[in-house]
Formats: sequence, C-alpha cells, structure tokens
Amino acid sequence: MIKDEEIDRVLSLKDEILPSSGFAASVMEAVRREAAAPPPIPFPWKRALPGLVVAGFALALVLVAGVVAITQRASTTPQFSAPLPFVMPPIFHGGIESAAMWTALALLVAFVSVKFSMRLASGRG
Amino acid sequence: MSASDDQADVERVLAGDISAFEGIVGRWQGPLINLAYRFCHDRGRAEEMAQEAFLRAYRGLGQWRKDAVFSTWLFALATNLYRSELRRIPVRMVSVPLDDIAEPADARASDGGLEDHDRDSAVRRAVLALPAKYREALTLFYFHDMDVTTAARSLGLPEGTVKARLSRGREILRSKLPQRLAVPRLKEA
Repeated sequence: MIKDEEIDRVLSLKDEILPSSGFAASVMEAVRREAAAPPPIPFPWKRALPGLVVAGFALALVLVAGVVAITQRASTTPQFSAPLPFVMPPIFHGGIESAAMWTALALLVAFVSVKFSMRLASGRG
Repeated sequence: MSASDDQADVERVLAGDISAFEGIVGRWQGPLINLAYRFCHDRGRAEEMAQEAFLRAYRGLGQWRKDAVFSTWLFALATNLYRSELRRIPVRMVSVPLDDIAEPADARASDGGLEDHDRDSAVRRAVLALPAKYREALTLFYFHDMDVTTAARSLGLPEGTVKARLSRGREILRSKLPQRLAVPRLKEA
C-alpha cells in the first residue's frame, strides 16, 4: 500500500505553469470594460408603485369577493347556481367562487414569479 | 509580495484609479492560475478561470474586510469560483472511475516498479478521480504548502472538517493505488 509520505511527495511537487504573456493585459482589458460599462439600471420603484398598489388592491378585492361569494353560497339554496354558457372556459362552470379562487391563485403566482425574477436579476448585478 | 502593497492598491482602485488593479494582477496572476491549474489540469481553462476570479475580485473589492489579509480573501473567492466552475463543467479525466485509472499503463518488468513520471502521474490522476470534497481538500492543502489552516480558510470550512477530508482522501488513495506504486525506487538507493 502506498504511504502517506509518498502521496505528500508527489502532490507537493511544484509543477508550476507561467501565465501567458498577454494574461495580465487581457485581465486589465476586461476590468476596464467592466468599469466603463454603465451601472445596472435599478428597478423603477417610484414609477411602479402606483401600479403595484392598484394590483394589490385588485388582489385584495378578488379575495374578499371570493370569500363573500363562498359564504353567500353556503347560506343559499343549490338552485341558485345556474349553468354558465358553453362558450365560457371550463373553470367558470364551477361557479363564482371557483373563478375567484383561480384568479387569486393566478395573481399570486404572477406576483411570486415577478419577485423571484427580480431577486435573481439583482443577485447578478 | 507585501500585504501593504495589496492594501494600497485596493484603496487606490476603490478611489477610482483602475490602473492600480494591475499591481494586484501582477502579484497574484501566477498563484491564481496555478491554483486553477491544480483544479482542472488544463492551461487554457486555468487562465480563463483565473481571469474570471480577478474580475470578481475587482467587482467585490469593497467587500474585502481588512481583518483578513488580502490574499486569504482572494484565494477564498477564487477557490469558490473554481469549485463551482468544475461542478458546472467537470474535468474530463474525473469522469474516469478511480478503479480504472489506478492501474498503471506502463509497468516496468525489469524492476517491478514504475518510473517516477508514471508514478507521479498515477497519483495525480487518482486525486483527480476522487470525489470532489476530498479532491478539493487535498488540492488546497498541497497548494498552500500543507497548511491546514489556510486551506480551511480558502475552502470556508472548519479545520477539523478539512483534516477529516484529507485523512479520508488519503485513505481512498492508499486503497485504490496499485501496490507497485509503493515499491521503493532503486535509483534513490
């Protein structure tokens, strides 16, 4: 079995390589390019804020409407649920609470995906 | 290589004098390329990885806390980059199973052993075929002249963990390398 001293001897050998002649220049060129590049554009929070507030309000409204619809449905008779026209997508056939739930879920997924992509983008900057 | 030179250059770069970074590149290009070369054994790729390490160092100069010397910070940054690069695109030799590469290709019938070159090459290839955590510990340990503390700092691991990985890595090497590698070399007698 090979001894530790032999492993030490082999792996301690300095088989050093010299940098290419243009290496330092190439690094400095990349650094200068980096320095000359404009800084990453920050997210325009001020401009986006009204839109985000409206979106948040709409989301809250949908959630409240959904909850109200569910509670009303629970207290009314089943005959209230008239079938929707066939042209409507299948998710609307389940009634208003189902549509509200799907809308809320879609808004939530969109919000999470926007937040996630923004976090990824800022992490690379 | 003086730590005060590094600090002075870093301060100049942070003050806006980009050309001062040239001093840092000049002092550390050799060590960074050689460290990368030990990870990948490919000169071209080593230079590419070292260049990326310098770029990241330039971007992150402001994050260097002066409680550690500049070289420690630089090596830790480079080591992290090299490790993630090799995880992304592994060295081709590593894909060869350890059991396959351990067998010497050029055994000398006359003395029952191998020439120095073959012996060294077999040990190095065996290191490259180790699982990443043992390979990285061994690579850093020997690069830093067998200094566990510095190797642990570069890897961002506790010293005890690095010692355990070194021990296990050597154990795997000992068990996998062929008996003939252990035969004393007659030329040295």
